[in-house]
Amino acid sequence: MQNPFDPAIRDFLTGRIWLRLHTPFSIETIDEHIEAGHIQTIPGIISTKSLTRQTNHFCNRCENTTPSRFTTFNCAKCKGPCTYCRHCLKMGRVSTCTELIVWNGEPPTYPTTHSLAWLGTLTPRQQQASNELTTSNQTNIPHLIHAVCGSGKTEILFEPIHKLLTAGKRVCIAAPRVDVILELEPRLRAAFPQTAVEALYGGSESTTASPQLILATTHQLYRFRHAFDAIFVDEADAFPYTAEETLQRAVRKAAKPQAPVHFVTATPSDKLLAHMKKIGHISTINRRYHGHPLPVPRYDALWNYTKRIQKGKLPKKLTEWTQARLDKNEPFLIFFHTIKLMEQAEPLFRQLNPKIAAVHAAHPDRKQHVQALRDKKIPGLLTTTILERGITIPNVQVAVVGAEQLIFNKGALVQIGGRVGRSAHYPTGDFVLFHHGITYAMDEAKNEIIQLNKGGVPT
Amino acid sequence: MNECLLCDSTIASTPTWKALLGLDDTTIICQDCSKKFVHAEIRNDTDELLDQVTSLYSYNEAMRDYLHQFKFLQDIALAGIFAHELHAQLKGNAIICPIPMHPHKKIMRTFAPVDELLTSARIPFTHLLEKTGTESMGEKTKDQRLVMNPLFALKPGTMIQPTTYRLVDDIYTTGTTLRHAATVLKQAGAKRVEAVTLIRA
Ligand SMILES: [Zn+2]
Ligand SMILES: [Zn+2]
Ligand SMILES: [Zn+2]
Repeated sequence: MQNPFDPAIRDFLTGRIWLRLHTPFSIETIDEHIEAGHIQTIPGIISTKSLTRQTNHFCNRCENTTPSRFTTFNCAKCKGPCTYCRHCLKMGRVSTCTELIVWNGEPPTYPTTHSLAWLGTLTPRQQQASNELTTSNQTNIPHLIHAVCGSGKTEILFEPIHKLLTAGKRVCIAAPRVDVILELEPRLRAAFPQTAVEALYGGSESTTASPQLILATTHQLYRFRHAFDAIFVDEADAFPYTAEETLQRAVRKAAKPQAPVHFVTATPSDKLLAHMKKIGHISTINRRYHGHPLPVPRYDALWNYTKRIQKGKLPKKLTEWTQARLDKNEPFLIFFHTIKLMEQAEPLFRQLNPKIAAVHAAHPDRKQHVQALRDKKIPGLLTTTILERGITIPNVQVAVVGAEQLIFNKGALVQIGGRVGRSAHYPTGDFVLFHHGITYAMDEAKNEIIQLNKGGVPT
Repeated sequence: MNECLLCDSTIASTPTWKALLGLDDTTIICQDCSKKFVHAEIRNDTDELLDQVTSLYSYNEAMRDYLHQFKFLQDIALAGIFAHELHAQLKGNAIICPIPMHPHKKIMRTFAPVDELLTSARIPFTHLLEKTGTESMGEKTKDQRLVMNPLFALKPGTMIQPTTYRLVDDIYTTGTTLRHAATVLKQAGAKRVEAVTLIRA
């Protein structure tokens, strides 16, 4: 490879898999680099006929293989049947006649000087987990940090990440939900002030930089390939259920072939626990960093709450609970199982205090509302399960309306309870499950919390 | 088990005889998504050029998102969402003539949205017109548009009969596009020119 290349293109494309016609560089420049062999082209979709004469498709960007997630049409560009992937459509359509590109030349070298500016100290248990994680990195073994909500999971990662960065390695922290990324971004920027950090999520500003430390929603990893020397998947259990397999494949693809994929979560699924026991290492932390126990949920029956709310009346117990929070000036979160019920209840809560707001996944002002609650500009928020994880609000009190609903499984309830008592100044708080009947999941969540508080390890 | 083409949620499908025989393909979007589209059913005042204009839906947020995904993100699978309504509206004896795209633009987009709508609705159509320029309507004022050169010409070798023609377009905004097309057909001898659009802006 004698021909010169543009280092900006190398830095951008290294570890990425991109649409040939939609890079931040001119099409002519990209063409020249392809001709010189610095960039390799890859067809967007691979179609093969099986023995049963059925056509199987494979998307080279997101590695989707589900037949119903492909559509074949008569293409005016390639003048024939052309198949595109619906799974990763929102990142720009990939079809049979679409070309993807990857960097094929010399990889860049990353800086080895990085400072760790975090000034806190780890508890002995955190320190141990952190050391164990570093050992796993040195031997490329996947590692699960199973740490209860509020045990300081992120701080455990700082030292291992710092060691990777100073070895010139490229690191990614991935989370299924954008809220988690948004919460992590300022903390990691502060902890690694010398490091090029970039946060990638749907709608984030795209740059041509080649950050060494990337925070990304798992969806964004579709656009990476053999990029990272280690990936930490935060809140691994929050994968959207139906897309689980493709997303996990995308995480694997974004890592270099030998690189470990680590998991960090308070509520690992049984499947993940079993898998990690088999192929990796597990560190368990069952104490919060401030040493106080996790709040145990209490049950309170709220019979026929749906009907009451639909009739335009807040159930009495719910009104009393909310009023008590308002009187004591305690911030609160009230979880609902559907947007519909939440929106029916919203005006009723507004009669108690006009500043009470509601948020859900498609809500454009979600970030601002959470910040307003933190800043005490609003007294409380109604929410769907979207806020079950990743947010910390000192002294927050939590209620679940309809805890018996299917969406509130054990993991969700443990996560929701994990919002309470996180701060050392307010290590306790109310965690109430308003219900129309007690479910197995409610009891499971309660038992797990009691077990963890006793120092046990859930299996 | 089916997934909604718009929101990916699972559609609870109750097996019917129609579905088993492959005759029913209406369940490609879920109830919640389909409720967000609002019927327009506007029939415009007629004039010498357009004898009738029918639009199926009005333009709202859901329709804006639909057009974005269908045309901009090139999600051709979405062509079938309105297949039943379009079929019901367009079946009959009239000759169906879609508003054409400029050939270069069609190659860039890889498909012609109006043609795909008709194909999904199983409505046979003939391209009788061709685009004369590439100028986008949005950049012109109304006055400019009216004095502009014709947008369409008859395709070479096309014969127009003294019968009914139906123009089809995705969206009716000012009617200029359809009037330009109708002018060409009427001048060439069409007896009656009607128009059907999916959306009324
Ligand atoms: Zn794909
Ligand atoms: Zn093609
Ligand atoms: Zn839907």
